[in-house]
Amino acid sequence: MLEINNLKATVGDTEILHGVDLSVNAGEVHAIMGPNGSGKSTLAQVIAGRDDYVVTNGSVTLDGTDLLGLEPEERAHEGVFLGFQYPVEIPGVNNAYLLKAAVNAKRAHQGEDEIDAFEFLKLAKEKMALLGMDPKFLNRGVNEGFSGGEKKRNEILQMAMLEPRLAILDETDSGLDIDALKAVAEGVNALRNADRAIVLVTHYQRLLDYIQPDFVHVLSDGRIVRSGDKTLATELEQKGYDWLKEAANA
Amino acid sequence: MSDLADLARVSASLGPDALSELRARAAEQFARDGFPTTRAEDWKYTDLKLAQSVTLDALGGSDAESLATIDLPDIDAHWLVIVNGRPVTPSSAAAGGAQISLLSEANLDLRYDLPLSDLNLALLSDGLHIRIPEGITVDKPIGLLFIDSSGDRPLAVQGRVIVDVETSAVVDIVEVHNSSGAGTVFANNLLELNIADAGHASHTRLQLRDREHAHTARLQVACGRDSVFRHFALDSGGKLARNDLTVDLSHAGADVEFNGLFLVDQDQHVDNHTRVDHRVGPATSSQEYRGIIRGRAVWNGKAIVHEGADGTDATQSNHNLLLTAGADINAKPELEIYAEDVKCAHGTTVGQLDDNAVFYLRSRGLDTDQARQLMTQAFAASVAASNPIDECQALIDTHIESSLNALLRRGDH
Repeated sequence: MLEINNLKATVGDTEILHGVDLSVNAGEVHAIMGPNGSGKSTLAQVIAGRDDYVVTNGSVTLDGTDLLGLEPEERAHEGVFLGFQYPVEIPGVNNAYLLKAAVNAKRAHQGEDEIDAFEFLKLAKEKMALLGMDPKFLNRGVNEGFSGGEKKRNEILQMAMLEPRLAILDETDSGLDIDALKAVAEGVNALRNADRAIVLVTHYQRLLDYIQPDFVHVLSDGRIVRSGDKTLATELEQKGYDWLKEAANA
Repeated sequence: MSDLADLARVSASLGPDALSELRARAAEQFARDGFPTTRAEDWKYTDLKLAQSVTLDALGGSDAESLATIDLPDIDAHWLVIVNGRPVTPSSAAAGGAQISLLSEANLDLRYDLPLSDLNLALLSDGLHIRIPEGITVDKPIGLLFIDSSGDRPLAVQGRVIVDVETSAVVDIVEVHNSSGAGTVFANNLLELNIADAGHASHTRLQLRDREHAHTARLQVACGRDSVFRHFALDSGGKLARNDLTVDLSHAGADVEFNGLFLVDQDQHVDNHTRVDHRVGPATSSQEYRGIIRGRAVWNGKAIVHEGADGTDATQSNHNLLLTAGADINAKPELEIYAEDVKCAHGTTVGQLDDNAVFYLRSRGLDTDQARQLMTQAFAASVAASNPIDECQALIDTHIESSLNALLRRGDH
């Protein structure tokens, strides 16, 4: 479903990704782990279409569609969702309004009518209940004054409403206390299904106790240096990342 | 005004009536002082040349026949209409507890202490006096509709309204300015608002003039003990708009808040000057002005905390969104503090739409235009929501939306 081949990307004059290969099938959950500065977030942002990064080589396709030729919103319409490491506060833009606009943008792309207001509200409240979010968050500015945990829940709420084909969750666990982490993980687990792929970008193994990945990849210095099953995450937790760097350089 | 010597003649031609003597004195004063120029600190960035291009002979007469066709704004209010500077309201009326009369019949001391106020009085056909008697709460807003129609000739119009809110009285005032016609219009308005002890006045102004016309408006507010003043102004019209708002706090316990939004297209110039004088404490004043700018704008917010005005709490803020590299704002907060125990804060920002937020919205499926529009609208809405008069919120929002659509449609060129 998601195929990444020899992807190289730069920011300014610096190459961050030095040739990433990754293949993700529908129904799978992949975790991408790695030390700070390894290029994890860059990879997530490049897939979503952030134009701060220039792709200099390689390809990214989703179900055969070349994502790199698409605008960020077109990628979203194709089913790409990026859960931000730092969700942006947009004062004055109503949370419900954004959710509805996002849902309708996707529906318009699929040739469907706009969502009925009643149906939207019902759906939103349902998903919020699942995430343990107070419905009053619908009427607040997008992430405005939200705590770290509330912001991350809000990302998962958007994901739940948009039902993406591919969800990339960038450091969704950072800054969360254990209750928030559980709530977010439950939300993500509820969205696992045979048609959807989820890529978790994370520094720590902690999140993977709650969302069990099918595959774990280690990104180091802009390359995937090792892949394995979930036991790799446990191994990383015990040994740290250094042994992998040494192995890669050997 | 091409020829100031004509001023006395034109001024005299408006009488004889109860205002004749005041007009003559104001005309004399204005003939001496003339228009403010960019050499004056308060007028450094705003050149009134456009306004001065209107000749004195172009004083508008009231076109009574066209009154039947006046479209009142879609706001449930007691509407008072001033056409080409002439009140067309019955000479005396009562509206929901308020008492209304012509200035020529009110026997008031009309001020003429600043050049544009002098000009206003020198060429004033007549104005309105609105009195809210002690303890009265007016049942719905009082609407002041200014309609100036130049036809194909240039037109200079003066509007003046004095509102006295007596002890413990409560009133909402909605002021709407419209203009039309191929000829240049220079509308020069003065609204005086005197709020007595424990009075409560809310005032919202919508300036929606033709994009070739000029507008100067002074709002002078005096606040009594424990009085409350709330104000919001939207400027989306006019080629040149200059608003002066002065608030005098000479009695303790006053609580004032005034905010504004200016939407400035590439051929527009909008200038807001505010001044609040804290003469005693405790008292609270806060102001927030926001600009969305493709053209040229000025904001100057002055707060003076006079000696002895302890317990003053004054905040000022001005935030601007520049839509293009050619957009321009001169923003200047001025705080002068001569008292001891005060709380004052000011902040000014000038910036562009946050790329990070635009990307965030696009990653959720909104296209660039939608994202920019949504963020711009939110920027405007955050101050527009402070409009104190619910009855006109829908009209404000409609005008903001259509103005922003036009501003954003132009793209980045």
